[in-house]
Amino acid sequence: MKRRTFCQITFLSILVCLTASTFAEDIPNRPEKLTFEPLKFEPPLAADYRHVLNGGVVAYLVPDRTLPLVDIDVMFRVGEHLDPKGKEGLASLTGYLMARGGTKSKTAEELDERMDFLAAQLGTGIQGFQGNAHLNLLSKDLDEGLSILREVLAEPRFQEDKIALRKEQIIAEMKQRNDDSADIEQRERRFLAFGEHFWSNRLETKSSVDSISRDDLIAFHHKWIQPKNFIIAVAGDFDVDDMTARLNKLIADWPYSGETAPEPPANPEMAKPGIYLVDKDVNQGRVTLMLPGIQRDNPDYFACLVMNDILGGGGFTSRLMNRIRSDEGLAYSAGSAFQAGVYAPGPFIAVFQSKSRTVPYATSIIEQELKRMADQPVSDEELNTSKRSFIDTFPQNFASKSAVAGLFGNDELTGRFAKDPDYWKEFRGKIDAISEDDVQKVAKKYLKPNDAVILVVGQKKEILEGHPDHSVKLTDLSKGPLVEVPLRDPLTLKPIDAQPAQKE
Amino acid sequence: MTAIICKRSRLALWLVTLLSASVAFSQQVPVKEVHLANGMRLLMVERHDNPTIAGGWVAHVGSSNERPGITGIAHLFEHMMFKGTPTIGTKDYEKDQEIIAKQEEVREKMRQEEAHMREMWRHGKIKDLQDPNTFTPRYKELSAEFKKLVDAQRELLVKNEFDRIYTTAGASGMNAFTTDDLTGYFINVPANKLELWMWMESERLWHPVFREFYAERDVVLEERRMRYDSTPLGEASVAHLAMFWESSTYSWPTIGWPSDVMAISKAQADNFYSIYYSPQNITLILVGDFQSDDAEKMARRYFGRIPRGKKDPPDVVTLEVPQEVEKRMNAEVEANPQVDIYWHTVPYQHPDSYPLAVLAQLLSGRTGRLYKGLVLSNEVATETFAYQDSKKWAGLFNIGGEARDGKTPEDVEQGIYQELDKLKHELVPAEELQKIKNQYAAYEYRKLNSNFSILHQLINYDGEGDWREINYGGPKIQAVTAEDVQRVAQKYFTKINRAVGIYTRKPGTGTEEDPDLAGLTGDQKTAIKQLAAKLKQESDAGKLKQALEKMKGQAGQVPDEQKPFFQAYMKKIQARVTELGGKE
Repeated sequence: MKRRTFCQITFLSILVCLTASTFAEDIPNRPEKLTFEPLKFEPPLAADYRHVLNGGVVAYLVPDRTLPLVDIDVMFRVGEHLDPKGKEGLASLTGYLMARGGTKSKTAEELDERMDFLAAQLGTGIQGFQGNAHLNLLSKDLDEGLSILREVLAEPRFQEDKIALRKEQIIAEMKQRNDDSADIEQRERRFLAFGEHFWSNRLETKSSVDSISRDDLIAFHHKWIQPKNFIIAVAGDFDVDDMTARLNKLIADWPYSGETAPEPPANPEMAKPGIYLVDKDVNQGRVTLMLPGIQRDNPDYFACLVMNDILGGGGFTSRLMNRIRSDEGLAYSAGSAFQAGVYAPGPFIAVFQSKSRTVPYATSIIEQELKRMADQPVSDEELNTSKRSFIDTFPQNFASKSAVAGLFGNDELTGRFAKDPDYWKEFRGKIDAISEDDVQKVAKKYLKPNDAVILVVGQKKEILEGHPDHSVKLTDLSKGPLVEVPLRDPLTLKPIDAQPAQKE
Repeated sequence: MTAIICKRSRLALWLVTLLSASVAFSQQVPVKEVHLANGMRLLMVERHDNPTIAGGWVAHVGSSNERPGITGIAHLFEHMMFKGTPTIGTKDYEKDQEIIAKQEEVREKMRQEEAHMREMWRHGKIKDLQDPNTFTPRYKELSAEFKKLVDAQRELLVKNEFDRIYTTAGASGMNAFTTDDLTGYFINVPANKLELWMWMESERLWHPVFREFYAERDVVLEERRMRYDSTPLGEASVAHLAMFWESSTYSWPTIGWPSDVMAISKAQADNFYSIYYSPQNITLILVGDFQSDDAEKMARRYFGRIPRGKKDPPDVVTLEVPQEVEKRMNAEVEANPQVDIYWHTVPYQHPDSYPLAVLAQLLSGRTGRLYKGLVLSNEVATETFAYQDSKKWAGLFNIGGEARDGKTPEDVEQGIYQELDKLKHELVPAEELQKIKNQYAAYEYRKLNSNFSILHQLINYDGEGDWREINYGGPKIQAVTAEDVQRVAQKYFTKINRAVGIYTRKPGTGTEEDPDLAGLTGDQKTAIKQLAAKLKQESDAGKLKQALEKMKGQAGQVPDEQKPFFQAYMKKIQARVTELGGKE
């Protein structure tokens, strides 16, 4: 009996195999010959998920009953711009320790043990211009989880031993500031892009961290961690009415009356055009080329998105990747970004990493491509590829319920929902409307190689020497000066360099 | 394209890797498996929340299938799979083939000259084989000839067309990665583009064309510089693994030795393809918004075209020899002092891999034993980690930690052994074990949060040997007992079974307290550092000695509070004089 079945299966699979190869003859030799059903997708609307809680706190609730999990994100408009002078690092330390320094009823150790036993994930933090408390747990534990979250938000304990430990970890990390050339590049990039005095560049130092006391944490917490600064995004296994009631309880009777957090200041100042070179003994140079950019609500935003995608944002379909990587084998990664800022213009940046000797040549390719972008219209094919990509990948913005809640929560927090409520609804149409002209216009307007601030981190001698096969030298690439940027002391951030000796 | 799963990124992923080796009580992933007639397999998981499909496939080959001379070929090959087919990537296939053939003729001559240059290097006539200034005239001539052929080919190329077709169709996130055991390829496509995925992937599996082969080798060398040469721990961690694995083919890094990558030929890549990319060595995986019946029909039609490989790929026969001596490595790096320890354990799906995974979790996290013991109680470390890595042919357990200020990597090492000794001598309390099992159980739900994460788990599980682990692993974790944990702790964590890496900060980097600066104020320290940096630019030892003499004469007049500063400055000058070879 068994044997017979086996034979039949073998016979069937031969049949299938024969039919398959007959069909295979119809397979076209180019993919354009395939036809596809249209893709229908309408994005969810923020208004359908938006709830106003007591006191005007906005929450986005996106139920999803497929798994017994709930994901709660309490975001706050509280950022590092609120660090008092001399206490840089206070916001970030406060944010971290809300969930890691114990609460009114639990020591830090008890809290950690309980959350780990429930297999719940709880964390808090403040970074950039915002902060959050995030809790992901099994829905059966929702009661306990929310009461712990309430204590974490309203009554953190800030245990002294945890403050001391965290400070020690921060300083250990700080000591590695000059170890990795990528870290040096990132730090100097932001200094050059926004200026040393811009709020996001007031970096913590050993002395600023040392000066922070438990009282500072408590004062910062009481002043800013307030429901009036909250936006809440919840996705997962819950009933909307029930969750609304739970969230109202989460934010009720706040024990402190603090302040509404101000927006971060918008006064960035980009460095003067030139080449900024940090000497670091590694065999690969890291390069960032920067130009003044735009803010997110700029009318040129969509044209810039498409233009940048064609130039260097689109990975392997972009010009920078094609020339620097595929043609020349000069880098593993090469690309560009228009970092349209929320509260202040962000820079346009183009980046790559290449062996020391080929740094000048690869940089010259970027400059050529910036110029070509401004001088010549893009091809129909390039424009079409970029537009189709933005339009057809659009559904992925809403790939999961927690992504939807997070996206809408973030739009609420950064003011996009108030200013531009139809942003997502109109997104595809606005992309589709971009023409070759629009692309060239913004390229002309923003991509001016003469204004470029070029940061290079790597082996100075070899980079300046260049490559025997290519005549271009680093100093040919800017009309501005070559500025040697000294490394900074990791703990003080003061330049370690050969400045005039101090008189004794 | 590419992501090599290197050691450090694996640390970041450890939780996912560990936790995904499990399945809870009920949450089975509904995978449908289909076998094509040519030996290829297809795994499908339907999920209809969003109109997208995560599509991928895994080739059961990685750097552990290589041999000396061609290390890095699995990864280089992965890069080549994006270069097109006869109809994708070129305007004129025949001419393209002619040029590729001519290129290979020139390359053959270059290879002969490379052998000659290696000989010159052995005899000390060339200092650095990668320095373009030291290439022989013959090699430069051949390079120029080759470059002309590259330019000629460029005229015919349709650059990155494979990528462009997908991107224009709304696909995104296309990439691939190579590990020591497997090579995974993946992409997201809109739900209406399933047939495009079938077309594109079957075409490139069936007849890939390796254009721009030698430029891509240079890309890989840049990738190596980025991931290893230019990172603080990159090279030392490669050395540590090479010391740990003796006979195993895991002893070289997935990216390969630079000399091998520079020497790999297109003919070797062709040969590699015919052995390891045959249908019987490939598993296709689809997760997302499609109907399994349709997908199966399409897969049979498109992938069924590819003929089965004549021979099955060879098994790796080299086993790791049992380690008989403790191994230790001292590395000076630009990083904080730390320790990193490997022990030989067991491969994928070995019964001991489950208690070892539980043991790793017992040690990890803020409520784990390492953090509690070494960071909170003993105060020897600032951070710690632990994980079990069950590879296809062998396995390892890794524990490490960073030393706190004033403590040494050896202090952290001893702290680690103390925690392991407790696990050897005392049974884990029931509640602590339950905590670990709860975490694994919750992960059974969390792992289902996206198409992409399910796709990646299936790529990894099937690549290591069996996708069913996604549903089998969980119950095995839940069955682990305290006695099992004690048994594996005793069995594997022995002295002769380990390879210890001691990392200390390279002198002169970072901010470790310089003894010369003791007793100075913060501002004075900064000033001395600035002066010391200035001294580095002075190369005239005589001038420095003069200055030193002068200062010695003035020493008596310096006010008391300035004396430490003055003396520190003199020490720095003296150090520079010594460095320049001058004697006092």
